[in-house]
Formats: sequence, structure tokens, C-alpha cells
Amino acid sequence: MAFRGFGGIATSGLIAAAILWSFATTDVEFSRLLSAGPRIADFFGRMFPPDPTVMAEIKKGSAETLRIAILGTLGAVILSVPLGILASETMVSPAVFRPIRTLLAFIRAIPLILVAMLMVGAVGLGPLPGIIAVAFHATGMLAKFYAEAIDGVSRAPIAALESAGAGPLVRLRYAIWPQMAPVVARDTIFRFELNLRESLILGIVGAGGIGFYIQTYVRSFQYDKAASVTIAVVVMVIAIEAINVALRRRFT
Amino acid sequence: MSTAIEIDDLSFAHSGADLPALERVSFRISAGESVALLGPSGAGKTTLLALLDGRLQGWSGRVSVLGAPLDPDRPPPSARRPDTGFVFQEFALVERSSVLRNVLNGRLGRMSPLRALLGSPTKHDLEIARTALADCGIADLAECRVDSLSGGQRQRVAIARCLAQEPRLILADEPVSNLDPARACEILALLTGAARTRGATALFSSHQPDLARRFAQRIIGMRDGRIVFDVPTSELNDDATAELYREVGPIPGIGLRAVS
Repeated sequence: MAFRGFGGIATSGLIAAAILWSFATTDVEFSRLLSAGPRIADFFGRMFPPDPTVMAEIKKGSAETLRIAILGTLGAVILSVPLGILASETMVSPAVFRPIRTLLAFIRAIPLILVAMLMVGAVGLGPLPGIIAVAFHATGMLAKFYAEAIDGVSRAPIAALESAGAGPLVRLRYAIWPQMAPVVARDTIFRFELNLRESLILGIVGAGGIGFYIQTYVRSFQYDKAASVTIAVVVMVIAIEAINVALRRRFT
Repeated sequence: MSTAIEIDDLSFAHSGADLPALERVSFRISAGESVALLGPSGAGKTTLLALLDGRLQGWSGRVSVLGAPLDPDRPPPSARRPDTGFVFQEFALVERSSVLRNVLNGRLGRMSPLRALLGSPTKHDLEIARTALADCGIADLAECRVDSLSGGQRQRVAIARCLAQEPRLILADEPVSNLDPARACEILALLTGAARTRGATALFSSHQPDLARRFAQRIIGMRDGRIVFDVPTSELNDDATAELYREVGPIPGIGLRAVS
């Protein structure tokens, strides 16, 4: 009990020290916040009314973002099926799943925007680098989820099929897959939603999608057009989330 | 008469366990016999059955199943596994699959790996699966999902899957422990009857002496990993049974208890 008390005090002390350190060493001038009011008001003033003449750009950009998210998710699924199997302790030995899990953790640690910038450099501007970046980035999470889905199934039916003489792939197909299918569906839909949200910013680095228009309009001070695009983005995210909630309910 | 199971001086300890799960077990079962393994929980019945099914390694002694010796260090080759069928205590069914699919799963070891993977059973496979379903009295449940079934129905599916495998030896681990007495009799009659009509050997474990007496020709009593008696059913006396279930002082970790 005394130990826990000490641990609690030490934790609180650490958190307080981290906050104080951040204030002391960052160039934060709160006085600037006071003068920001009128400027923010001006900014919002220029956003209203949103300019509806950019519907064509919104349609084009949204469609491209949606395509990047769909194809990126497809790519991630294709990569995650073998990697997920190789990262599961049910299917392979520790000598295989340990390095694969380390690789997946490494992939997850690389931010999407960095991958996208590298891909733009490698294959040029447009949606292609965005698709590759989303597929790569999402695989880090999706393959881990798939591996966990494989490892989360009941072991008894697997043992039963092994006892009946079924090989590892046949066991995966008939004992593991039927049990993990709803989890895979749920995880994939969840990752698709994340891919869509994250791919909205890809346009900023030239990797395609609606983000390109937001960046263009903000940089050229056309805030009314930027506002229209922003509204479209919010509507799209809310719509996809609503669809996913409905789908996820089916799979639980 | 040929030999279905031959065990000589078999000992086994689960890794990390202080006491052996099986100690110097020896017996022989002829082809076509129906034998019950009787004993309290923790006697080593499940361990012995899993070992005979080729699922445990690291034992000592000599074990031979259906004329072929088991390797103490590695599982038997897949080609031999369908010959030994196993009915699991907790059914071990794929809950989200249909009854027919679960019964066809018993055929997977009999199909070529490619056919198994593609999920295209032959007419012959389907016929055997349907016959097994009919024999177990669940032909009308073929398309139901297992997670919609009762305990007794699940046990029938588990037995049908085992029969679809066309085993020459049927091992059943407490096949009726989850069922009420009337269901228990039905299921054991089904299991031993199906084994008899198919000419298969049956070895099932139970902790209920009256059921073992009724459905086995021979009873092997186990306690603390050892064989206590091995007699034809007609010679089993109440003293031997009582001895099997005699309460011992509480020993932590051994979980011996009287059975109601």
C-alpha cells in the first residue's frame, strides 16, 4: 500500500514536471492569443457565405479521395492476409511471427504523410502515391488485427480438425476462418473508415484527393471556397461513419 | 483377433506438473471391443485418450494404435489420423458453421488436400456425411448453424463428425458428461451401436459406473494416472468401484472428488 502511494506520487510528479518543462521551454506567448480574436473573426467572416460554385471540384476531389481509400484498403487487405497469417502464433512458430510482428510495428510507426511524401517523390503526383501510401500504412494495423483475430478463435475445433487429419491450410479454412470472419469484417470496415479520414490530408503533399483543393483555396486566401470543401469533407466523414456503424452492428 | 490398442509401461507428465498424469499404464484392446475408462476427474482419462489420438508428445513406454507404433516425439502422419476418430468432451464444433459443414469437416482428412481446401466434397463424401447425420438422428438439422443447437444436439453432431471420418477406432472423452441421464443413455447407445455396426473399436471415458457397466464389455478403472482394475463388465464389483472413488485427504492441485 505504501509502495502504491509512493508510485502514485512519483507518477503525479512526473506528469507535473513534463507540463512545466513544456511551458518553460516552448516559445508560448499567451499575449498573442488576446490579439487573435479579431483575426479569427475576420477569418470566419471571409469563410461565409461558403462559395457554392466549387461543386465540380468537390465532386472530383471527393470521388478521388474515396477511390484512394477504397483501393488503399484493398491493397492493405491483400497484404494483410499473408502477413496476418505469418504474424499469428496459431499458424506459425515464434521464429516467424516475432520478426513479422516487429516489421508490422515498424510500419505502424511511420506516419502516413511521410510515406505519401516519399511515394510522391518515387512515382510522381496524383492518386497513385496516395493509394500506395494508404495500403502500406494500413497494413501495419490491419495485419496485426488479422493475426489477433486468428489467435482469438477457440482452439478446440482446430484440434478436432487436426485429429481428423486436416493440414494447416485446411484447418485455417474450416476451423479458423468461420470463427474469425466477423472480426475480420469489422476490423476491415474500421480500417476503411480510418483510411478515408487519413487520406483527406494526402492532397496537401500532392498525393491526390480533396485535400488538394483545401490547400489550394487556403493558400490563395479563397476562404469561402475552402469552407465549401470543408463542409463536403465533414459530410463525407459523417456519412461513412454512419454507414460503418450500421454495418458493424450486423457483424457483432 | 487383431489388436486395436496396445500400451506397454506408458508414463507421461504434463510439462511443469509435479505428479505424472499417467504412470506405468499397460493394457491391450482387441479390435471390435467396446471399453470404458472409468475413474474420477483427474485420473488421467483425458490425457490417455489424447495421447492415443496422437496429440501428446514426450511420453515414455510403447504405444501402438491400429497396428502402427506411435512416436513419442512427434504426431502421427496425417494419412493415419483419420483412422482414429475422437469425440471431444466440449464437442469442439465450429459454432458459426452449419451442422452438415461440421460433419463434412470429419471427411477433410479423407479428401485430397486440394479438394479439401476448395471445399468440393465428392458425392461419396456427402453420402457418408448424410448417413452419419441420419444415424445420429439429426438429418433434419443439417442446414442449422451449430450455435443454434442444444447440448444434446451438439453431442450428436460431434459424434456424426467422428463417424463421417470412418474411423476404425473411436475414442470418446466423457461423451455424456454434459447431458441428463436419459440423453446420456441415448448418446452412449448411439456411439457404441454405431461403432459395433461399423466394426470399429470404441474406447470411451466416463465417471459414471452405471453407464460404463451398461455400454461397455470391459471396464478399465483409473485413479491418479494408474490402472486400478481391468475387468470384463460382468466381473466388476461394487467394492472395486467404491475403491476408485474413495475420498482421499485434500491434496492441493489434484482435484480428486467424489462423483454424485
